[in-house]
Amino acid sequence: MTEFNELSRQFQVSDLVEQRADLHFITASKEHAVAVVSALKERYGYTHLVFFTVVDHLEKNEFHLTYMLHNYEKHHDMGVVVKIARENVQMESIHHLWPAAATYQQEMREMYGVEFPGSPGLYENFALEGWEDIPPMRRDFDTKEYSDKTYYPRPGRESHDPREYMKENLYPSEAETW
Amino acid sequence: MVKEKENSKFPPLVDGKSRYDLSSGKYLRVWQGPQHPGITGNMSLELTICGDEIIDCKTHVGYLHRGFEKLMERRKYIQCFPVVCRICVPEPDFNEYLFAACTEELAGIQIPEQAEWIRTLNLEMARLTSFLMWIGGQAGSFGMGTIGQWTVTLRDYMLDLFEELTGGRIYHMYMLPGGVRADFPPGWINKLLDTLKTVEKTLDDVELAMMHNAVFKMRAKGLGIITPDMVDKYGITGPNARAAGVKRDIRKDSPYLVYDKLDFDVVTGTKSDAYGRCEVRIREMYQSIDLIRQIVEKMPKEGPFFTKLPNVLHWRIPAGHTYKRAECTRGEYGFYVQSDGSDKPRRTYVRGPSYTHAVALMEHLAIRTNIADTAGLMVSLHTYPPEIER
Amino acid sequence: MSLKDIIAPFSVWKRALEKPYTNRKPIETRPGADRYRGFHQNAIDQCIGCGTCEEICQNNAIDLVPLEGKTSSHGDSGLRPKIDYGRCCWCALCVDICPTGSLGMSNEYIWITTDPEDFRFIPGGETKPWDDRAEGYRRAEGYDLLEAERVEMPMLSFEESQKSFIEMVQGYSKEQAMEEADRCVACGICIATCPAHMDVPAYIEAIRNDDMGEGLKIVYNANPLPASCGRVCSHACEYVCAMKHKGEAISIRWLKRYIIDQIYLGDYKEILKSADESNGKKIAVIGSGPGGLSAAYYLRLLGYEITVFDANEKAGGMLRYGIPEYRLPYEQVEKDVEYIRQLGVTINQDLKIGVDRDFKTLYDEYDAIFFSTGLKDPYGLEIAGEDLPGVQSGLDILDEVTKGKTPDIGKSVVVVGGGNVAMDAARTSRRYGAEVTILYRRREVDMPADEEEIHESQGEGCKLVTQAIPLRVEKGDSTRLKLFFGMAEMVDQGEGQRPKPVLIEGSEEVIECDTVITAIGQEADYSFIPEEIGKNLVFNRGMVQINEFRQTGDSKIFAGGDIANRKRDAISAIADGHSAAKGIDIYLTNFKDK
Repeated sequence: MTEFNELSRQFQVSDLVEQRADLHFITASKEHAVAVVSALKERYGYTHLVFFTVVDHLEKNEFHLTYMLHNYEKHHDMGVVVKIARENVQMESIHHLWPAAATYQQEMREMYGVEFPGSPGLYENFALEGWEDIPPMRRDFDTKEYSDKTYYPRPGRESHDPREYMKENLYPSEAETW
Repeated sequence: MVKEKENSKFPPLVDGKSRYDLSSGKYLRVWQGPQHPGITGNMSLELTICGDEIIDCKTHVGYLHRGFEKLMERRKYIQCFPVVCRICVPEPDFNEYLFAACTEELAGIQIPEQAEWIRTLNLEMARLTSFLMWIGGQAGSFGMGTIGQWTVTLRDYMLDLFEELTGGRIYHMYMLPGGVRADFPPGWINKLLDTLKTVEKTLDDVELAMMHNAVFKMRAKGLGIITPDMVDKYGITGPNARAAGVKRDIRKDSPYLVYDKLDFDVVTGTKSDAYGRCEVRIREMYQSIDLIRQIVEKMPKEGPFFTKLPNVLHWRIPAGHTYKRAECTRGEYGFYVQSDGSDKPRRTYVRGPSYTHAVALMEHLAIRTNIADTAGLMVSLHTYPPEIER
Repeated sequence: MSLKDIIAPFSVWKRALEKPYTNRKPIETRPGADRYRGFHQNAIDQCIGCGTCEEICQNNAIDLVPLEGKTSSHGDSGLRPKIDYGRCCWCALCVDICPTGSLGMSNEYIWITTDPEDFRFIPGGETKPWDDRAEGYRRAEGYDLLEAERVEMPMLSFEESQKSFIEMVQGYSKEQAMEEADRCVACGICIATCPAHMDVPAYIEAIRNDDMGEGLKIVYNANPLPASCGRVCSHACEYVCAMKHKGEAISIRWLKRYIIDQIYLGDYKEILKSADESNGKKIAVIGSGPGGLSAAYYLRLLGYEITVFDANEKAGGMLRYGIPEYRLPYEQVEKDVEYIRQLGVTINQDLKIGVDRDFKTLYDEYDAIFFSTGLKDPYGLEIAGEDLPGVQSGLDILDEVTKGKTPDIGKSVVVVGGGNVAMDAARTSRRYGAEVTILYRRREVDMPADEEEIHESQGEGCKLVTQAIPLRVEKGDSTRLKLFFGMAEMVDQGEGQRPKPVLIEGSEEVIECDTVITAIGQEADYSFIPEEIGKNLVFNRGMVQINEFRQTGDSKIFAGGDIANRKRDAISAIADGHSAAKGIDIYLTNFKDK
C-alpha cells in the first residue's frame, strides 16, 4: 500500500493489515500517531474522522486507541491503532484537526480515563453526571458486581442446575460419585 | 442566522464561541429538555440566551445511557443480537444488520443471497419508517401537528408489516449472524406494496401541506445552515451533508448487501438549512419506496435465508477487528467489532451519526438562532440520543 | 413567497371528510401477528428441563424450577423453565434453541393483572389463556441454531469389514471430533443416566478446547477403562441426550474414545493423579474384568495394596475374551490394563480361586475382598441333540478366537440368541467365511443386542430369522448338523409385560448347517466360595445381593459386575468397582479398626 510505504519512511508505523480491500489497519507509535493521522488527513485524503475510540486490553496492560479515517475519493478506510500503557494514560488531542473530535475525547476521558490535554470541555460531564467509581468502560470495572452492590435482586428467584438437581434426586449417595 | 452588526447586542465570537459574562445580567441561562425536544429522544440543551436569541448552547446527554457497549462485553455473540437493536428505536435494523455483518466477516461466514435481499428490503423499510417518524417531529416542532398525525399513522402501518415479518413491532430482532430468522409470510409482499401506495399518496399531501407552507418556509429556510466545508470538520454524513450538495451516499459509494444491483441516484440539495434538509429527506422517502419496489421485483422468489452457524452456545470467533457501515436515515451508521478469539466480543463500538450531529454540530449551529427554533433545528439534524450514549 | 405557498396548506382540509385512522372506544383488541413474539408456551410433557433456554437467555430471565407432578427421571431433569417477564426481552432465542422444540411463543401480548408476581410463571405449568393458541412465534423451517445430525463416523464398509478383524469404527479426526463436540448443549442430562456418572459435558468441552490432558483427567475420575469403554460402552447416555429429541444424540462414546486415542499410554502418568502413599492395607480382587480393574484402580489411588487374581491368561475379562477384536482391539484393552498395572496393582494371571488358591486363605490374608467374576457358564438350549459335535456356545467360540485358535465351524453356522454375544459370534463366524443365520425367538425390536450390532451383523450378511424357536438338532446329511425350529407368535401378556413367544403348533422348518452356536445367556459360578463364607452371602436368582456400597452379606466381601448388576454391561461393572472402592475405604477406616 503506497500510503503505508510512504508513511513508514517518515513515521513509526507498522503492522499493515488488510481486513478488506477497502479497510486497512496500521499501528502507529504513540509519539507519531497524531502526525500520522494528520498526514493521512492532509496528504492522503482521509478527511473524514469516522470515529475515535479505545479498546481496553487489560491483560496486556494496554489501551488501544483506534482512529478510523475515511477517504471519500477512494472509498477506503484506514484504522490507525495506537498502543499505550494503561497507567496515567495521556494522548495528544486531535481537536485541531476535527472539532468533532473533542466529543470523542471527552467521552473517552469519562469512560476510560484517557486524558487529552487541551481538548475543549474535556473535564465536563458527558453521559455520567455524578459518577464517582472508576471509568466504567475499563475492563476492570465489573458491571455485574456494581449492579449487585447497587441494586437488589428480585426476591424469590431461584434456579436449579439440571445435573445437580438430578443428582440430588436420582443418585444422592456418596457411593455413586466421590 | 448570524447577523453581525455594529454595536450588536450579542457578545463577540471567538473561534465560533461567544465570549460573555453571565454575571452582567444581560444573559440568562435556561435548560431545554431533557424531555423530548421534538421527537429526538431525551437529551437537553443548556442555552445561554440574550432576549430570545441563543448566544451559547451546551448539549447534555446521559439520560438514556444503558451501557450497551459494556453489556456486550459480558455476552456471547448470539446474546448480543437482542441487545444491539435497542441502541436506536426508530431504525433498530441497522444495528442488527451491522452487528451481524461484522460478526459474519470476523467469523468468515457467507450468508445466502436471499438473506442479503431480505436484509436490504428490511433496511429500506426501516429507513422509510424512520423518516415517517421524523416528519412528525419536524412538522410538530413548527406547530404543524396534523402532519405528524398522518405520518405516525403511516409509520404504524409500516410497523404492522414489520410485526408480520419479524414478530416484533419496534425491536425486530430479525437479522442475526448467519442470515435472517424467517422468510416472508404468505401474502405479505402484496400488503407491503399496498402500504407503499398509501404512504406515497400521503407523502404528496405532506409535500403540499409542509413544503409549500408559507409559515414553514419562513421559519425553516436559513435555519442552521451547514456549509460544505463544515462537512468533514464535524463528521457530517447523510442528508445533512447531501443537502449541502455533498454527493456522498454509502449505498452508492461502498455498496453493501445488494445495493449494487439496484438502480438509484444519490439525492442532493443545494443548501443545507432546515428546509433543504427536509426536501432531501422527502425525496429520499420516495427513493426508498422505489427501492423497495425494485427489491421486490428483482429478488429471487425463494432460497435459503440462513447459513448454519457453529453451536452458538460455544461460538468463538477468531481474533480480529473490523468496521462496517451502512447508510441509515441520519447518515453513516457503523459498527466496529473487535474479537479476541473468545466467545464474547472484546469491544463493540457503535458509530451513530447523531454522535457528531447532535453534540458538536448542534452546539455550533444553535448560536444566534431563536429559542423557538431550537426544537425545529434539532429535528432538522435528525438526531437520536441513544446512539450518542450507547 | 408565492400564492401557492399560502393556499397549499389548506389542502389539509380535504382530509376532514376521510375515515379517521384512529379506533373508537371501546378499543377492539387487536390480535398480534401470526409470528408475534408474545407470552411463552411450553409443551410441558415434551420439555425435558435441559436448561438450554436458561443458558442462552441474555437477560437472565429464565430459572429452572421443580414443577409439581414432574419428577427427575432418566432423560428428564424434572425441572421446567420459569420466566420472569420483568426481565424477558422477547427475543425468542430460547424458542430457537430449545432442543426438544417444546418452547414457543403465543401471539398474546395483552394480559393485565394487579400483582407483579403474576408476571413470573412457568409456561405450560401454570394454565394461561394462551396455552393452546396456534398463532405465535415458532422457529422457522430453514433456520436453526443447533445441528441435529451427528458427524458421520468413518467406518469400514461391510464388504471390507467382514473379511478381517480390523477395527470397523475408524475413529474421528480432530476436525470431526471438534465438530461433533460443538453440537453438545452441555445440559448434563446424560450424567444421571451413565452408570458411572461420568461428567460428559466437561470432557466434551475439553475436546472443544482441544485440551486432551484435561479430558483424560475428567474421564479417569469416573472410568479407568476408557479405551475399552470408548469403543464398546452400551452408551445409555446417548439414549437420553437432549439432542436426540432434535435428531441424533451426541456421539458421546466416540468422543470419549477420541480423547483416549490422542494420548500415549506413556504420557498418562504425567497427566493423571498418582496413587496415594501406601497405607499398608491389602485388598484382594477376584476377576480382572471391568469391575475388578475399576475397584483395583480407585483403591490403589487411595493407597491400598491391590492384588488381582484372574483365571485367564490375560487381564480384561469379557472385554478381552467376550468381545471380538473388530469391535475392541486387544491393544486397547491392554492400554487400559497396563496403566492400572503401572500404578502398582499386582495382577496374577492363570490363577483360579477355588482351584489354585483357596478363597478362605484370601479371606484371612487380606483386609477386604472384591469379587467380580462375571457370568461364565452358558445356558444350554435344553433340546434334543444339544450334545452333538458341532453344537458350541458363543462364548467358547469368542474365547477360542481370542486365544488365537481357528474355530472349527465349517461352512454354515446357525446362531441362536439375540444378545450381543450372539451378534459377536455370528459376525466372528462371518469372518471365518461361514454363511450365518441368526435365530431369535422374539421380534427384532425385542433383541437385547445393541441396535448397531444388529444393523452391522445384517450388513455383513448374517441372515436374521425372528420368532423362531429351536426344536431339536440332528446329524445332517450333506452338512454336519440339521437344526429343526418352529415359528412363534407373540402373545400379549397384559399391561407392562412383554409379549411372550408361543410356538405355533405344526410349524416346523429345518436348516442344514455345520455348527449351531448357542448364545442365549450365561450364569454365574459361585462354586469357589466355600460354604462357611457363602452362607453369609445372599443370592437371588443367581445374583449376589449387595448394598449401595456393593457390600455383600459378609461385611468384608464386596462384589460387582454382571454377577450383581442386572444391567450387565462394562460401564455398570466399572461403576460397581468405583462404588465398592469407596465402600471398602469407608469400611476399612471406620469399622475394621474398632
